[in-house]
Amino acid sequence: MFFKALTQRLTRGFQALVVTSALLGSQASGAAEPLKIGYSDWPGWVAWQVAIEKDWFKQAGVAVKFEWFDYSASMEAFAAGKIDAVTVTNGDALVTGAGGAKSVMIMLTDYSNGNDMIVGRPGIKSLQDLKGKKVAVEAGLVEHLLLLNGLKKAGMKESDVTLVNAKTNEMPQVLASGEVAAVGAWQPIAGQAIKAVPGARPLLTSADEPGLIYDVLTVNPASLANRKADWQKVVAVWDKVVAYIEDPKTQPDAVKIMAARVGVPPATYTQFLKGTKLLSLAEGKKVMVKAEGFKSLYGSSQIADDFNVKNGVYKTPQKVDTYIDPSLTNAAAK
Amino acid sequence: MKQTGLRAIRAPLSATQRLVLGIGSFVLPLLLWCAVSYLPFVWHPLVLVSDPGGVDYFEPGMRVEAGVFADEVKAMRESGAALPQGVPANPVYLPAPHEVAQAFYTGFTTPPEQKDAPWLHQSLWHSMQIIFWGFLISSLIGVPLGILCGTYSALARLHEPFIEFFRYLPAPAFGALAVAILGIHDGPKIAIIVIGTLFQQVLIVANTTRQLDHSLLEAAMTMGNRGARLLLKVVVPGILPQLYRDQRVLLGWAWTYLIVAELIGTSSGITFFITQQARYQHFDKVYAAILMIGLIGLGIDLLLAWLGRRLFPWLPPRSQH
Repeated sequence: MFFKALTQRLTRGFQALVVTSALLGSQASGAAEPLKIGYSDWPGWVAWQVAIEKDWFKQAGVAVKFEWFDYSASMEAFAAGKIDAVTVTNGDALVTGAGGAKSVMIMLTDYSNGNDMIVGRPGIKSLQDLKGKKVAVEAGLVEHLLLLNGLKKAGMKESDVTLVNAKTNEMPQVLASGEVAAVGAWQPIAGQAIKAVPGARPLLTSADEPGLIYDVLTVNPASLANRKADWQKVVAVWDKVVAYIEDPKTQPDAVKIMAARVGVPPATYTQFLKGTKLLSLAEGKKVMVKAEGFKSLYGSSQIADDFNVKNGVYKTPQKVDTYIDPSLTNAAAK
Repeated sequence: MKQTGLRAIRAPLSATQRLVLGIGSFVLPLLLWCAVSYLPFVWHPLVLVSDPGGVDYFEPGMRVEAGVFADEVKAMRESGAALPQGVPANPVYLPAPHEVAQAFYTGFTTPPEQKDAPWLHQSLWHSMQIIFWGFLISSLIGVPLGILCGTYSALARLHEPFIEFFRYLPAPAFGALAVAILGIHDGPKIAIIVIGTLFQQVLIVANTTRQLDHSLLEAAMTMGNRGARLLLKVVVPGILPQLYRDQRVLLGWAWTYLIVAELIGTSSGITFFITQQARYQHFDKVYAAILMIGLIGLGIDLLLAWLGRRLFPWLPPRSQH
């Protein structure tokens, strides 16, 4: 008797759970469904937090829901079709696309301007000093590209250094271990590595090659086709965000909002902002013009594509042009 | 020859001895930690720079290896520049006990910096809900299946080889798959806890059921009990105390999957707090959060042990901590 009652109660609870989760997970395909955007811990993307907290999307008349992720988890969720758009580097948009989750970059948020670094141990003063030594990077990610590009510019060959594959998050410990002469990492991890090994210094940063790493908002092609007007409104909010962060009068408030999102003191966050060049829509429009080389998103993505194929990140070269749609940025740029 | 005292093998302990030893099991590691943190001559391999003096790359707050610091002091002395100042320190990943205690306290008293962000206790509550649902769903499947497998050999043979195989598959590896099927919020997190717990649960419960005294079953069947009646009136009551104990162990098991589960999909719960603080090297807060998980887990376990003594008063008090 007792068991019967218990099992009945449990089944009822379980049924309720199943029904609610089904309701929550159901894809009601109305125009009221908010656009789901995944973002993560990078200054150019945390910037969106300002618009979220100031209700600027509501004012623009578009329903959005920003979901906070770890970077790699955000790409996974996008690849699984669970979010409509995600903030990534232009190179990672290609990697995700080659894996089957095609996307279209509709706007730029920033380019890395010093926040990505190759950090050498004390006594290593330039890339030339790395000849014949070990360097740790996470294979296929942006620091790998940064290093190879830097070696080429310094007149060295890839074979001049031995690459060691390690997780970006663990680079401070890798550098401290003394097993390698240098590591590649982005902020805040690069800063932790410099702190962990006193005398360590950046040998090369993304400021030496602006445009090697662009950061973008990239959208699921189906969502873009069906709800172009809504995406247009999202893009239009960006200029307000950049203005609010760069205006000396409002910058402290902006930094406070961004620092709170990632849980660090505002003073620390100001430093990360320095290594990120936020791009207004007008600046983004100039970059979204077809050209060779790092000055253009097309050229930069082509270089990233060649790098990815050459290093076996994926096998088939991607058609870079199909990954970029400048029309929304062009329409919103003043 | 009967042994007595603390060195006797499996001798029953008096209540006082149990209490003292129990407290000691916590106090000893804490004392060790205090010694390493507060006595500079024990370890302190680094120097915390307070004034960089004339050394160009030193900054206040930087931790330098003691040897490097000594070399720089020598170099500055020779060149006649200002000497760097500093105090012996431990690596940043070993904060002192009082720092962790402070972080523990302020974690609950500081409001979240961000609008709409959860308080720490809300994050913990969210994590506990994930555990609860994961363990409930796992138990709803695992316990009945385990009891059936333990009672009917044919069923056991049909299920157990596959379950044995499946329990070696690492639950975290199903993360991306769980996101693809169940979305990005709590669904995949609960699923990972279920995958991590369920397969062990079936095997452990089945084993427990097999321990049931066979003469009980024979007696019941002689009186004409079969099927569901036999299961509900004889088997389940017969294994209930041991089943309860198994569930306690398995619940602890489920807790260990929490951190991997919460790394999947959107960042949430206590894990988000831990990973975020670790990324910025706030290790005092990391330790405080780990402590919270430990205390909640231990608290629930003690509560369940106490409840077990009330529910099954006829059991000998062995193996009850």
